[in-house]
Amino acid sequence: MRESIGRISEVQIGALLALSYLLFSAVFWAYPFIWLTILSFSDWRFFGAPSFSGLHNLLVVLRDPDFWGGLWNVIRFFSIYFPIAFAGSLGFAFGLKHIGHGKAFIALCFLLANISSGVAFSLVFTKLFSSTGPINNFVFSCFGFRIPWMSDPTLAMLAIALVVAWKFIGYYGLIIYSGLQTIPRDLYDAALLDNTPPFKRLLRITLPMINAQLIMVMVFTILVSFGIFTEPYLITGGGPLGRTNTPLMVIYETAFRRLQPGHAAMMSVIVATASYVLIRIARKLMERDVKLA
Amino acid sequence: MALRAIRSLWLAGSIILLTGCSGGHKRSPPDAQVIKLWVGPNEAEESFWKVAVAQWNASGQGLPVSFTTIPTSGNSEETVLSALVAQTEPDVSTNIFSGFAMQLANLKQLEPLSSMPGYVDLVERRHMTKLMLNWQMNGNVYAIPLYSNPALIWWRADVLAKYANHQIPRTYEDVYQLSERYAAAEHHYGFRVFAGRSWEDRWFDFIAFYYAASNGRAYIENGKATYDNAAGLKVAVFMDRMYKQGWTAADFDAGDPLVSGMTAGAVHGPWDLGTFQRLYPGTMKNIVIGPIIADMGPEAHRATFADSKGIVIFRSSKVKQEAFAFISWVLGNEQLNLLWLQKTGMMPARDDLLRNPVFTDFFDTHPEARVYATYVDVATPPALNENTIDIQKVMTQELVGPLVYRTKAPQAALDDAAAQTDKILRIHQ
Repeated sequence: MRESIGRISEVQIGALLALSYLLFSAVFWAYPFIWLTILSFSDWRFFGAPSFSGLHNLLVVLRDPDFWGGLWNVIRFFSIYFPIAFAGSLGFAFGLKHIGHGKAFIALCFLLANISSGVAFSLVFTKLFSSTGPINNFVFSCFGFRIPWMSDPTLAMLAIALVVAWKFIGYYGLIIYSGLQTIPRDLYDAALLDNTPPFKRLLRITLPMINAQLIMVMVFTILVSFGIFTEPYLITGGGPLGRTNTPLMVIYETAFRRLQPGHAAMMSVIVATASYVLIRIARKLMERDVKLA
Repeated sequence: MALRAIRSLWLAGSIILLTGCSGGHKRSPPDAQVIKLWVGPNEAEESFWKVAVAQWNASGQGLPVSFTTIPTSGNSEETVLSALVAQTEPDVSTNIFSGFAMQLANLKQLEPLSSMPGYVDLVERRHMTKLMLNWQMNGNVYAIPLYSNPALIWWRADVLAKYANHQIPRTYEDVYQLSERYAAAEHHYGFRVFAGRSWEDRWFDFIAFYYAASNGRAYIENGKATYDNAAGLKVAVFMDRMYKQGWTAADFDAGDPLVSGMTAGAVHGPWDLGTFQRLYPGTMKNIVIGPIIADMGPEAHRATFADSKGIVIFRSSKVKQEAFAFISWVLGNEQLNLLWLQKTGMMPARDDLLRNPVFTDFFDTHPEARVYATYVDVATPPALNENTIDIQKVMTQELVGPLVYRTKAPQAALDDAAAQTDKILRIHQ
């Protein structure tokens, strides 16, 4: 039955509201993406009309060691960031579930990191991790050596991963926490009656029941890995020796410093495709349709 | 009622969105009655242009000038580029570094200033004939340098008094000796060798040291890297030894190392004079300024890197001649050059600063600025090349970085950097 209020029905209202979003997406997502795709096959340097250049931009990008180094760094970053963020957010969610009072305050404290300015906290962490910073001065005064946070390729990536994880753990944790809240208590009661040990309850009940939330967190970590810019740009500048350079940093430099927007557009398309493929693979491998019988 | 409100809101939003997106590529009608000028986005430069533009407009010598700072919160290049793409650029802009000027000239966005009537007269009047040799691009000049700031080394006088007999280090050996004593006594570093991780930072370490070691020889000539030579090797060996001995750190991000005393010396430009006097007056009183270190006699007038920005006229301008008349008037006016010096502390790009009586009083009362003025004639800007970023990124990743992180020997690092630079420049040719 179609309810109508005044002269328009609920269906029309729904369509109207959805249309706003569709219009927004068309202007701010579809149009730029179509233009980006056209640009990636064009010869254009900001001025004049773009001309079709076939696969020229692709060939240039294929020979660009900076870009491929950046993509490899995404894998390196993900392999460090994912376990930290995943374990951290799971820990946060489980902790939050067992806290009696002050849940909202604790959740807010973690979320503050998420809404803080990336530029501001990157500058703070740069000073903290500096070879002449407070952490290293303390280590030097106690043990007589300094930790090469910024000069060792792996430690530099770890430093960035820690900073980004600090930012996102609260956000991911709340997503997982919302999943934990939806698990029926009866399942645990039944497991307890069967004398199921805690670890088995975690593996057989909790994790499968929050599969959707875990997949969402994993998708977000993949997107963050491909999309980080501010933290490496400000904390390490892509160094040492380009080992924390990211595709977005290369794209930014190629477009606005080398003035080669066509090459940068091709890089963007490759990055978008790579992240999409990786997400599809991850979902295919991990996603489960969990239903209570 | 609520539904009607939602519907109205949606319609209004859609109209705003659609109207906001339309006509984005249309140029606003040209206002030929005013010369539009963009200036460097900082208080000091703005205060200079306020006076200069007011004087020009009051004099009635030409079209009036209207100026604003480059509307940027980040870097000027992107803003200028965005304006050019959106066709909202002014007639004239300052704050253009030579590599960016080269890029814009190649994209046919700049007017060749050397073909303007009065150009030769301006160069002679401002005593910048020698300086302009480094700003010629394919026989033309597209940007005239407004200032030329030599990079020099600041030393902590108290550290020199204790560990170097009050002597300013001038050679690599001087720095080694100071570093060894300072490190042994206080666990601090002798000198900040590595200026930073960004490609721009190479201007303030390897390139400055290379210019000093090679008497200002270009590091890129005829589309090839030329720093793989004896001078380049001396610099590389110096950097390598400083890191090998632990006499310098890979970064000093925690704070200015001169203020904390973490290092005894670091490369600085004259723009830091005002900043330090304002923020760290105690440290500033304790600073002495010396030349860039090099393996040569202590009295040698050694070259250094010049941080230099120029002024350009965009090709789209409808008032090119009038704009050049204004530029010529500002740059050629000695009193305005003095005002620039007073307001910004940066060296006007002219090689008579210490001979011209107009500047005498200023330098008598600003001895630190006088030291900088001494080196304007040998301060050399970056290699004029469209691929500045790639050249200096290679320098970072193949040469300076491996020396800092001690992954390559000096000669191998030089060879690799030169070879990689040549390869990149070949691709871009």
